[in-house]
Amino acid sequence: MKTKMFACLALLAACGFSLIVLADNHEEEDMNKLVFPEAYKVEAVANGGKISGVVKFDGEVPEKKKLAINKDQAVCDAVAKFDESLVVGDGNVLKNTIVYLMDITKGKDFDAEAKKPELDQKECRFDPHVQIVPVGIVLTVLNSDKATHNVHIFGTKKNNTSVNKQQPKTRKKMRLSREGVAKKAEGPIEVKCDIHGWMKAWIAYVPHPYFAVTNEKGEFTLEDVPPGTYKLGYWHEVCGTNNKAPVTVKVEAGGEVKQEFTLKVEETK
Amino acid sequence: MRIRNFTLLLLILGLFFILPFVHAQGATEAQNIAEGKKVYDNSCAHCHGIEGRGDGSAAENLLPQPRDFTRGLYKIRSTESGQLPTDQDLFDIITEGMPGSSMPEWETALDADERWQVVAYIKTFYEGFKESETLPKEISLKGKIPYSKESIEIGKELYTQFACYECHGDEGRGDGTSAPTLTDEWDYKSWPANLHQNWNYRGGNDIDDIYKRFVGGIAGSAMPMFEDPAFGLSIEEAQRYTQLDNKGEMTDAEEEEYTQLEDKMANAFDILDLINAGEGDEEQKKFYEESMKTFYEKSWHLANYVKSLSPEKRPEAAIGKNSLRSQYVEDELPPMDDAVWDTLEESYFPLVGQVIIEPRQFNPTIDSVSVKSFYNDTEVAFLFIWDDRTHNTAEEENEDIGKTYEDAIAIQFPVKIPKGPTSPKPYFLWGGKLAVYLWQWQASAPEKTTELTAKGINNATEQEFQGDIETESAYSKGQYKLWVKRALETDDKKDLQLKPGVFVPIAFSLWDGANGDVGTKRVISSWYSFVLEPVPSVKRFIYPPIVALLSLGLLIGLRGFMQRRNTE
Ligand code: HEC
Ligand code: HEC
Repeated sequence: MKTKMFACLALLAACGFSLIVLADNHEEEDMNKLVFPEAYKVEAVANGGKISGVVKFDGEVPEKKKLAINKDQAVCDAVAKFDESLVVGDGNVLKNTIVYLMDITKGKDFDAEAKKPELDQKECRFDPHVQIVPVGIVLTVLNSDKATHNVHIFGTKKNNTSVNKQQPKTRKKMRLSREGVAKKAEGPIEVKCDIHGWMKAWIAYVPHPYFAVTNEKGEFTLEDVPPGTYKLGYWHEVCGTNNKAPVTVKVEAGGEVKQEFTLKVEETK
Repeated sequence: MRIRNFTLLLLILGLFFILPFVHAQGATEAQNIAEGKKVYDNSCAHCHGIEGRGDGSAAENLLPQPRDFTRGLYKIRSTESGQLPTDQDLFDIITEGMPGSSMPEWETALDADERWQVVAYIKTFYEGFKESETLPKEISLKGKIPYSKESIEIGKELYTQFACYECHGDEGRGDGTSAPTLTDEWDYKSWPANLHQNWNYRGGNDIDDIYKRFVGGIAGSAMPMFEDPAFGLSIEEAQRYTQLDNKGEMTDAEEEEYTQLEDKMANAFDILDLINAGEGDEEQKKFYEESMKTFYEKSWHLANYVKSLSPEKRPEAAIGKNSLRSQYVEDELPPMDDAVWDTLEESYFPLVGQVIIEPRQFNPTIDSVSVKSFYNDTEVAFLFIWDDRTHNTAEEENEDIGKTYEDAIAIQFPVKIPKGPTSPKPYFLWGGKLAVYLWQWQASAPEKTTELTAKGINNATEQEFQGDIETESAYSKGQYKLWVKRALETDDKKDLQLKPGVFVPIAFSLWDGANGDVGTKRVISSWYSFVLEPVPSVKRFIYPPIVALLSLGLLIGLRGFMQRRNTE
């Protein structure tokens, strides 16, 4: 009897402890980052549903800001370059927004293409501006320029994936296998070329494939979603997230859910 | 149900048995950490923050910012890119401090035990130290190539091949075209090191240190780590490739050679990627080993070259035997670009940020100013040389750096030369009760020097009568040169009057506009003194021959005397 009580107490203590740990983690969670499920299980999805829609921008569309190219003009300034932190297209549609399922715990695997993520450096610009990389998968960085770049992926508390590696013009392809593989989901994380200070991009390390980045028309599509109810989240570089108030969507077998978002520039603190 | 309960019980019981042992083993470590916390809270927290976030009360004005220990990013490591530092690395950096930043050395204030304890404690701020099962991989120093002229020559070419100039500039003064836009991972401005002033390196200036910095990178900074940009090519092939690459027009044969070399590299990079990913067959592994050997060889040459850019050690300040002595010439004083200047040793005046009067400069970017001087019977000429990574000629709003101002220098003298070394001098910050006389030069007017009188740092006026100060200047590759010439004596009572043999106090203020220097925010020196070396003509050029003749005469006389004595 006594031992049993003792065991219970110990268990309670352990629970209390883990609660504290959890609380601690929570505190550190950044409202400007993506939210991920604790665990994700890959299983075949039959007759899944689809979530699609458009992300729009609400507010005065700022004038496109031309970037000042202060070096390697022959390579970098052949076509004019604009700041990509807020790209708004005709009809106020918003490019480069991540739309994703926050709380999905099982579903399909990444497709073959998603497992070979590539980040190109072309005309001294990162392409794409927002890149999804599955956890544990190697990112390949291309250099399509006749210029030296350095790929600088900022470090974080979780992964310590800080990578800063020079990519000479002689090296068209570089796999960041030794240093850049994230073990944990997180992001988006800043990417920079320090040599060409205007070159900026974002990488999100994600644990499941239900992530989409909006295109020029502001469109996103999430396919093969197992039927169920989910929280639908977004992230945008300057418009922030809806972490505090995600949208709830109900996906039915073979059905399609339409969802539109209207984002504003986040007020700076 | 029952069985489950039982297993749980067993598990918990087991834990109770094991725990004391775990504890006993960890005891010393836990003690270390506890002791380390005391040291940390006392000596480090006001900069690095109680929780290690780099946000202590004193951090606000510092650049670079005190390290945020919660990210596990350490600049100075003996370990490979992406790895944590070793305990020894941490111990060493705490012991030696980080020159060129506000991180002090702790060798004097803390004993070795305390330093080890604080190492144990700062590691607790970052989970990764606990999680990593294996020890960090250290950079091998095998195959080191001795420091030699030949090696430096090869290194110089590699400096270009590795594109170090992008940030560090063609000649290495930290003035590369990318320099103005660099920031660290905490988004604070950072400047590439001036490779001519290696006493300001954070992590030591031995050849080994330099080698480790660019093979392993400087984590958290803009400085990347490097793999061989011409991987798979020998040193000669790489040189040939660069040669062809720089050629405008290539012959067909050259074109083919060029393509071949490119293919060879592409192939080699594929193998490098495979090996880095832990793949590759035996043959590829062998190829990799061979190519890495060449890369390490190249890296040593490069380290030797970087080492060669700085003087052997930091020059001694211009006092005592090093003080500035203007040299007499009979003829015209040489203009700025005359090679004759190269025959003079320069006197070195170290500078510090002005932190006495608001607004202050806590993070100076100008290390020093070096001075040479000639004079003749009527005039004196000075050559002032200082390194500044950027050339700023106006007040501007700069997207990357913020507000920038004009670069400038002011050379300060007392209006009245003190009678002796103990007589009072004006206050070193542009005078007070006793006035100072100043020559001020600004980058926007490169051929003009203005005379000022000042009775305090905020109390300077242009002199009504501007005397004739001939001025020339140049900015090139991260370095300013300013040449001024003035009459030794003038009619203006507010001017300094110069006579050979008299020691004259001299001090400096400099402004790096890109570092926000303007007004009182500047770098300064305290008073030094210089002298127009008394005319040596007669003594130096006539006496020695006479002395020689005399001693020869004496010698002959002596010999005669001895011979006579011997024959007697
Ligand atoms: C006056 C402020 C100040 C104090 C006090 C101070 N530091 Fe620092 N420390 C710094 C700054 C600034 C840096 C970053 C320098 C840089 O990044 O170039 C730094 C960096 C470091 C680093 C990082 C080294 C690396 O390789 O990146 C360590 C470790 C460190 N300090 C330990 C300590 C310890 C331990 C103490 C107390 C015994 C201490 N510091 C006290 C200002 C301070
Ligand atoms: C993308 C810009 C960049 C490039 C390219 C670059 N550096 Fe640096 N380097 C820096 C910066 C920034 C620092 C200062 C780091 C700090 O302390 O924060 C630095 C510092 C250094 C230091 C001083 C280290 C110390 O202990 O303080 C050396 C030596 C150095 N670099 C050598 C090189 C060499 C050699 C190359 C070429 C192989 C190179 N760098 C290429 C940006 C660069």
